[in-house]
Amino acid sequence: MAKLTPNKTRLLAVLAIIGPGIIAASAGNDSGGISTYSVAGARYGYKMLWMMVLMTPAFIIIQEMAGRMGAVTGKGLAALIRERFGVRPTFVAMLLLLASNAATTVAEFAGVAAAMELFGVSRLLSVPIAAVVVWLLVVRGSYRNVEKVLLALSSVFIAYIVSAFMAKPDWLAVGHAMVVPTVVPEVGFIALAIGLTGTTIAPWMQFLVQSNIVDKGTSIKEWRIARFDIMAGALVANVVAIFIIITTGAVLHPAGIAITDAGQAAGALAPLAGSYATILFAIGLLAASVLSAAVLPLTASYAICEAFGWESGLDRDWSEAPVFNGLYTFIIFFAAAIILIPHLNLIAIMLVSQVVNGMMLPFLLIFMMVIINDRRIMGRYVNGRVHNILAWSTIVIAISLTVLLLGMTVLGYG
Amino acid sequence: MFYLTQMLGKPVVDAAGETVGTISDVAIATGEVFPRVTSLAFLGPDKTPFMLSWRKFVADVDDEHVALNANRADLRFSYLQPDEILLHRDLLNKQIVDTQGMKVVRVNDLKLSESRNQLRLLGAEVGARGILRGLAPWLERGIDRVVRVFGKSLPENLIAWNYMDLLDRDLSHVQLSVTHKRLHELHPADVADVLEQLSAAQRARVFEHLDNTQAALAMAELEDEFQADVIDDLGSQRASDILEMMDPDDAADVIGDLPYDKAEALLRLMGVEESGTIRRLLGYREKTAGGIMTPEVTTVTEEMSLGQVIEQLREEAADNESIYYIYVVEGDAHLTGVISLRDLVISEPHTLVGDIVHHDVFTADVDDDQEDVADLMSKYDLLAMPVVDETGKLLGIVTVDDALDVLEEESAEDLALATGSSRSFEASDAWSWLGRKSGWITVWAVLGVGATMLLNGFKTTLQSVVAIVFFIPLVIRLAEEISSHSLAVLIDAGDPEDRPPFLRRLLIDVLVGTGLGAVSGFIAFGMLEAIGETLKVAVTVAGSVGGTVLVTTTVGTLVPYIALKKDGSGWRAPSVLFSTGMAAIGLAVYLLLAAYLNANISF
Repeated sequence: MAKLTPNKTRLLAVLAIIGPGIIAASAGNDSGGISTYSVAGARYGYKMLWMMVLMTPAFIIIQEMAGRMGAVTGKGLAALIRERFGVRPTFVAMLLLLASNAATTVAEFAGVAAAMELFGVSRLLSVPIAAVVVWLLVVRGSYRNVEKVLLALSSVFIAYIVSAFMAKPDWLAVGHAMVVPTVVPEVGFIALAIGLTGTTIAPWMQFLVQSNIVDKGTSIKEWRIARFDIMAGALVANVVAIFIIITTGAVLHPAGIAITDAGQAAGALAPLAGSYATILFAIGLLAASVLSAAVLPLTASYAICEAFGWESGLDRDWSEAPVFNGLYTFIIFFAAAIILIPHLNLIAIMLVSQVVNGMMLPFLLIFMMVIINDRRIMGRYVNGRVHNILAWSTIVIAISLTVLLLGMTVLGYG
Repeated sequence: MFYLTQMLGKPVVDAAGETVGTISDVAIATGEVFPRVTSLAFLGPDKTPFMLSWRKFVADVDDEHVALNANRADLRFSYLQPDEILLHRDLLNKQIVDTQGMKVVRVNDLKLSESRNQLRLLGAEVGARGILRGLAPWLERGIDRVVRVFGKSLPENLIAWNYMDLLDRDLSHVQLSVTHKRLHELHPADVADVLEQLSAAQRARVFEHLDNTQAALAMAELEDEFQADVIDDLGSQRASDILEMMDPDDAADVIGDLPYDKAEALLRLMGVEESGTIRRLLGYREKTAGGIMTPEVTTVTEEMSLGQVIEQLREEAADNESIYYIYVVEGDAHLTGVISLRDLVISEPHTLVGDIVHHDVFTADVDDDQEDVADLMSKYDLLAMPVVDETGKLLGIVTVDDALDVLEEESAEDLALATGSSRSFEASDAWSWLGRKSGWITVWAVLGVGATMLLNGFKTTLQSVVAIVFFIPLVIRLAEEISSHSLAVLIDAGDPEDRPPFLRRLLIDVLVGTGLGAVSGFIAFGMLEAIGETLKVAVTVAGSVGGTVLVTTTVGTLVPYIALKKDGSGWRAPSVLFSTGMAAIGLAVYLLLAAYLNANISF
């Protein structure tokens, strides 16, 4: 036994609750997210910034609900869906979650490949190494340690803020664009706006934030601090997204350089904003991709095992939790293997993951609303009237945008 | 046989043949091993819920419907009784504790059987079969058929009611059958295992139902990382009550892991005596005899008669962890001897302690390493070992259960050393953890780059004799294999005294290496000849393979041998690092030899 250490203070007790929200939100700024933001900035300059500002409260509202459900019930979202709606809807939801997370993980490894190729490292080397590192991190670690590594990774997002300053934007124009809504009447703009919503409010993030709260054992007594964490996380994530748009908007847009993903964005920065901007941008992309490549498979495995009553948890080994470990391992190495296929159409994979996410989001949000208003489950922590109005309007907007995106994807405007 | 998932939604028909609603739930009486279904819940028109007594109104039940024995107008509705459980609401899709298998599982379906018009609950289905049936019965049948083709069957995984404990609903007010096994009736170690499978909130709920004694026992069995969490979730008063009930060494273990403020608060809530003991224990260093000992020990003096000793034992036995040895002290707890329970029992009650006392006692110093103490106890088959300070004053005893924990811990550490990873680490130090865990990957990567550069350096040789490349994997693999084998032999041999002298060892290794080298060189030669390489190429490559095997065998066995001998304390580098290093050496030797032979032989 160790001697009592007086250096563990109350601040640590607060810090102990911080984490889930920040990680969940940062993981949302994954390689797909960064690509979307970069493209938004490069193509339309600062014109889309106001949407990110509007999206922040909506994002917070949804994340807060998921977190509150976790703190009140001590159960993950998948467990609640199973217990409230039975096995059939759960099965469909889990199938969609698995498909969308696997597809998004492929995109994350694409991000790793793109970032490392900027440093001249072949994807044949970087992707397998990243896959093994991510796998080891989770299979051999305990939750608390994984969380610390992930938190450290999310701090790399500061790179984007620094690179935005290096791009020397016109801050007055930036401020103006944030408060004055502008719409460019063309299909591409609308498609991109929908893409922004989709990457900001992704279904798996609700599973993630809730299971993190549960895993951490945050009780409703500590909810005030945890809620702060969730809100701060959502805010920080969106601020980072805004800075990405500012960077590419300040550098690439005036020069009229067209890009389709984050890797190209980073590469295109060098001649205009100096090679440090490229390096910072690439480091950010790498960290984001690794973070999400660890988090996405984990979220899917947790949710699926929880829904069907299989043992799960980072602290359980193969014989104790075979399905959990198997799923996790499968998603990572499947995704990494896909990336190594020569002449791969990455854009198509991104599209698939967006479509699957889009199909899942409406169901998931409605499930959430039913559960959070069920007094048998939530007790006195059901949504208040104002909260319900805000949440439903967010949901209606998110759903209509998603339906629009699906329609446009199907009709080939994506 | 009925399954709840298949019954739900089926029509309820009254005596006149009219449908009055659809089945929404059934309730069981909880008092039996296979509980009877007592009530039927159904949704009438406009989704109005109704409940009926099964015994009074149900005439017949089959796969398609439930038939009532009265007309709609004559039905008398009832309410759920406190000892009734609704299968759909309380059990289906919920998590339960399987108190037989000691696992937390989710209920996928509930199986019921009919006998003499009574429906009884056979058990909860927790396996894949239940999930498939819940999705669609044809899916269950289909997959079952497919599995049968392979000569297996989809097993049914049923848990009987008397082996279930509910997590979401508190059963403590429900009259359960005598044979019903609740979670808190399990062995504390099993309770702890189940608790570790639950989420923090569920864990706290289970702890609320345990009484203080059970809670204290289960707490002691929990893994360290969960202990602090549970204490956090309990109220301070309850937490300190539980800690007071625990053996002081276990309690000190828990408190030592808590933040300072919390620990102080809990200690202050305890009795003066208990908190004093724990504070003293907290003063000893971790991983020493003092750190794992318990201060609760029975002491007697030489002048006492054995009758008095037995009397004293009876009084203290309830508090003391171990009573197999009784320690004899004089003056200020100065340890002078020991008597065993055996001595005590076989001697006459009027004998004096001084007549049968053994003066030669194995003792541990309070600062002794815990592993040494545990080793001594295992060597001399002791159930407890007294711990003394430098003046010989008896401070406490290390009991055999704690010693076993130590041995388990240490062997895990040894294993970690051999595999190059470490399972035990400070939670606060994420970076060094990352370094330690994946350190060998870094080593790999660095050496991999080194190997690339090495190969690049021998480009010209490789281009002229392509066949060299064929054997690179073999050489690397062989070097790794040899090194891990020799390390295993050394770890196995353990004590440096048991190892053969250096020169003899060297001779053996060179001999073995020569033999192995000759064999592999010969095989390589034959192979190359067979695929039609020139004689020069075959000799060059076969010679290099043979030479490399000789060198790696010798070096690979000798390096850990020398390192262990010099160090004395043991081999400190993990075997992964060593075998990777050996692979690099093997590759380098191989390429050098090949280049040399290629340049210098001619036929």
